[in-house]
Amino acid sequence: MKFKILIYLILILTGTVLLSDACKKGDGDRSSSGYHPTYLQLTIPAGWPLPPTNIFKDNPLTEEGFQLGRKLFYDGRLSKDGNFPCASCHQQFAAFATYDHQFSHGFDNSFSFRNAPAIFNLAWMKEMHWDGGISHIEVQPLAPITNISEMAETLGNVLKKLGIDSAYKRMFTAAFGDTAINSQRMLKALSQFMGSIQSYNSKYDQVKRGEASFTLAEQNGYNTFKAKCNACHTEPLFTDNSFRNNGLTLDPFLKDKGRMGITGDRVDSLKFKVPTLRNTALTFPYMHDGRRFSLLQVIEHYRSGIEVNQPTLDPLLKNRIAISNQEKVDLVEFLQSLTDNVLLKNTRLEQPR
Amino acid sequence: MKPSIKYFLLIYPAFLLSGGCQKSITSQTGTVRLTFRNTVKTNPMVLGTTSYTNPFGETYKITKFKYYISNVRLGLSGLPTTAIEKESYHLVDQGLPGSLSFSFEAVENSFITLSFLIGVDSTRNVSGAQTGALDPLNDMFWTWNSGYIMAKMEGTSPQSNQVGNKIEYHIGGFSGANNVLRQIGLTFPGSKFVEIRKGKTSEIIIEADFDKWWQTPADVKIADLPVCTTPGVLSKKIADNYSDMFKVTDVVNN
Ligand code: HEC
Ligand code: HEC
Repeated sequence: MKFKILIYLILILTGTVLLSDACKKGDGDRSSSGYHPTYLQLTIPAGWPLPPTNIFKDNPLTEEGFQLGRKLFYDGRLSKDGNFPCASCHQQFAAFATYDHQFSHGFDNSFSFRNAPAIFNLAWMKEMHWDGGISHIEVQPLAPITNISEMAETLGNVLKKLGIDSAYKRMFTAAFGDTAINSQRMLKALSQFMGSIQSYNSKYDQVKRGEASFTLAEQNGYNTFKAKCNACHTEPLFTDNSFRNNGLTLDPFLKDKGRMGITGDRVDSLKFKVPTLRNTALTFPYMHDGRRFSLLQVIEHYRSGIEVNQPTLDPLLKNRIAISNQEKVDLVEFLQSLTDNVLLKNTRLEQPR
Repeated sequence: MKPSIKYFLLIYPAFLLSGGCQKSITSQTGTVRLTFRNTVKTNPMVLGTTSYTNPFGETYKITKFKYYISNVRLGLSGLPTTAIEKESYHLVDQGLPGSLSFSFEAVENSFITLSFLIGVDSTRNVSGAQTGALDPLNDMFWTWNSGYIMAKMEGTSPQSNQVGNKIEYHIGGFSGANNVLRQIGLTFPGSKFVEIRKGKTSEIIIEADFDKWWQTPADVKIADLPVCTTPGVLSKKIADNYSDMFKVTDVVNN
């Protein structure tokens, strides 16, 4: 009896597969025309949650798409005067943040409005930018490309510039199967590159995998971190991707109210995305407007600088955070163990030659 | 147990053949064409030159007028069967005559309603880079707060306090309290049907009256509100106003 059911099931399943295959024929089958990309896979490190959505669902990750995205990311032609590729503000040696700049330099001697965040592990990020205004990795590049104080270019001009370059014709064909160069393909290629920037090889990760061990100071710092910071900067991504007010006051010149600018809701005033703390030793200055210059200053902020008289202040911080001098030093030691040298030196992510 | 499995095995191939592979369905289809005629009150809209007057006596000219129409379907009264356009996204742009009509294949039937969304459904707003009508090149996408501008009017008015007397209404927002998506359901004049027949094209003429943007339910005076470029309260008010700008003026069954 059981055996019979099994046979039935096999028959049904093979039938389904055959039929659904028959339906697929005809649309999108480019294999006959010499389109043979090399498929790649995002790494899901052991012990990590699955990404909230599959960012490569409608954009299969391939070596050819990745290499095209890499070229685009380093190409100044995406900006109006040629001087501001994505990589000018997102530098590999700074974990793809802007090294040592409160604001980044953009077109025509202007400055970006916010501090440039590091870029990695984007597949785990639901909304991008400090205010979460960007709903999908593929549309993110539209913001810097068209922003007058960043790349200051139009999408139409970018596509024109790419269209007259034979190297791009070749690479778009390799990545997508024919010579068409359009905004959708450019954006998908950029997200293949950006989405492939991953950080999971810091000392912290090695300790977790049993390949290294913390110093005493790092271990003490880690214990303090778990007790006092992990609620928002949650392991293993070191962010819970929520929007919160961590007690900074409104800057009277920037007037940046963060998340409220997107939702229009007053309860979101002064809330910003909890940033990841992976590679944080390299991403100074800190906070959305780069107003804290060192990790010691940041910790001092949580200990004594939080402006507690704010209606939207996160409840976890209403009494500030009690941190002893020793804990402060140990925390910094621990945070430094989150630097990922494999990422910083990964030659696949370098400017292509 | 046993009989039910056998029964299942008998009907399963039939189920696969009918629903498992959409393309094998061979019901008859015909063509329906939708043509949009943009007007101000009853006058055909002219971009750039003509001066119009709104219900508050304010004068203005229109330089741009575009809106998305999506999820178009034809309906029958009270029946679930409808003809749904696949990949149904259209940008109607008064500046591009070719964008004012489009057609699609529908199953043979006599339909009595036409429905669509003004705007791009929320799913497509968060599905990454799109192409065709939804290409961000069309200048209908907000880059700093991802999402489509569902409808856009730009122009000038002496009553505007903006540089160059500009007026600019970019209406968008697709989620939660800021949702400006409006579902439109239209019937045909004179209780007419749209007859879909194989080998034939039926045409539906739809008038879109821009004058509705200013009023009912919310008053939008240029002197007070010359600009709207974000999701929020004003976007929603204007969307409510324009949600009754469409009417079918004619159906031509060939
Ligand atoms: C002029 C400097 C500059 C340039 C050029 C630039 N960016 Fe950025 N980038 C920033 C700043 C500043 C932010 C933060 C924006 C915000 O939060 O409002 C940012 C944010 C991002 C984010 C979101 C990260 C997060 O954690 O939310 C990504 C992804 C990104 N940029 C990718 C790119 C890509 C791709 C390009 C090229 C098409 C690019 N950037 C060009 C400065 C720049
Ligand atoms: C209530 C949630 C919360 C807690 C608890 C918290 N943080 Fe933060 N943290 C944030 C938010 C939100 C930001 C971004 C604020 C901004 O830019 O306006 C931030 C920013 C930071 C930054 C700046 C990162 C960058 O790239 O700019 C560092 C470093 C940091 N926190 C470290 C810590 C440490 C260390 C602790 C524990 C002592 C801690 N945080 C506790 C919410 C929190």
